[in-house]
Amino acid sequence: MTTASLINPDLLSHGTLECNDTPATRRFLTEFLGIDVIRPLPEAQYLSKGGAWTVVCVRVEGEQKEQGPQNRFKLAVASAAEVDAAHVAATKHKDAYGIRRIEGVEERNGIRSFRLQDMNKVWWEIANLTQKHYDDAFARGDYKH
Amino acid sequence: MNAPAMTQAKPASGATSHVTPTALISGTFVTRDIARARRMCEGLLGLECVEPEKGVLLIRERGHEAGGKLAGEPYWVLEAREVTQVEVPQEMLNHWGVFVSSQAAVDEAFEKISAQQKEFGLGRVQKPRFRYGSYAFYFVDGDSNWWEIEYRTPELLYTSLRQKGDQVDPNAP
Repeated sequence: MTTASLINPDLLSHGTLECNDTPATRRFLTEFLGIDVIRPLPEAQYLSKGGAWTVVCVRVEGEQKEQGPQNRFKLAVASAAEVDAAHVAATKHKDAYGIRRIEGVEERNGIRSFRLQDMNKVWWEIANLTQKHYDDAFARGDYKH
Repeated sequence: MNAPAMTQAKPASGATSHVTPTALISGTFVTRDIARARRMCEGLLGLECVEPEKGVLLIRERGHEAGGKLAGEPYWVLEAREVTQVEVPQEMLNHWGVFVSSQAAVDEAFEKISAQQKEFGLGRVQKPRFRYGSYAFYFVDGDSNWWEIEYRTPELLYTSLRQKGDQVDPNAP
């Protein structure tokens, strides 16, 4: 798509989530999910795993918004076995990391994945995805209507 | 919530985390009208879209196509799925953002988007303002998804901030 648009951004740069316990959230993100986290501001932590984009974790007072699984962040792991291992780890350490819900592992079109809801009521999906999955989807173009 | 007791949950010796992701690869949201969402993402936000299957829209910044200026570079993807009803309406603190190249580009975007608010089915378009060193404004689309148009000086880009590391005690509440 190269037609004129109202703006021409340099980067699809970020998403956001809420937390109300910054240190506990960071332990979950780094120790359990393996995400890189920095805290540049008292009110926010920035999450990343390579790339120029980030997910901003904003500290809120009181209760966080309850998200549904339709609004989630996806983490790519290298293999289907790693998805299964992550599911086992989530189940084992559910209480320790404040994980609220863990759904079953599913497989669709060769992508194995599961979803969990964290202590902040935020949903995560862990899947054996690679960027090639998206490269191929964009290269194939739209499905035939 | 109170911090759970974590010590017994730490990864095994030698491992840094229980999950070892290769990428924070995408984010997802819902829309009641995928054609409308696509019009906004392409015609307003200047992003590249594709519908790999009925009811699914993938979104990335332009330039990653074969031969494009960003070909081969990593990118983040948004996945929109069409639904009959938005079960969890989103709020401003749950938004998606794009970077533009200057403060003037933010102002220009605000003028253009405000002028075409109805054409794109948008809700509120907030005025630009400085916040934490960035200059940005927010608007909400017809499905309650919030979007931020933002300019950051080079030292405030995420890659620059990562090099600096924590600026606040990570154990502070």
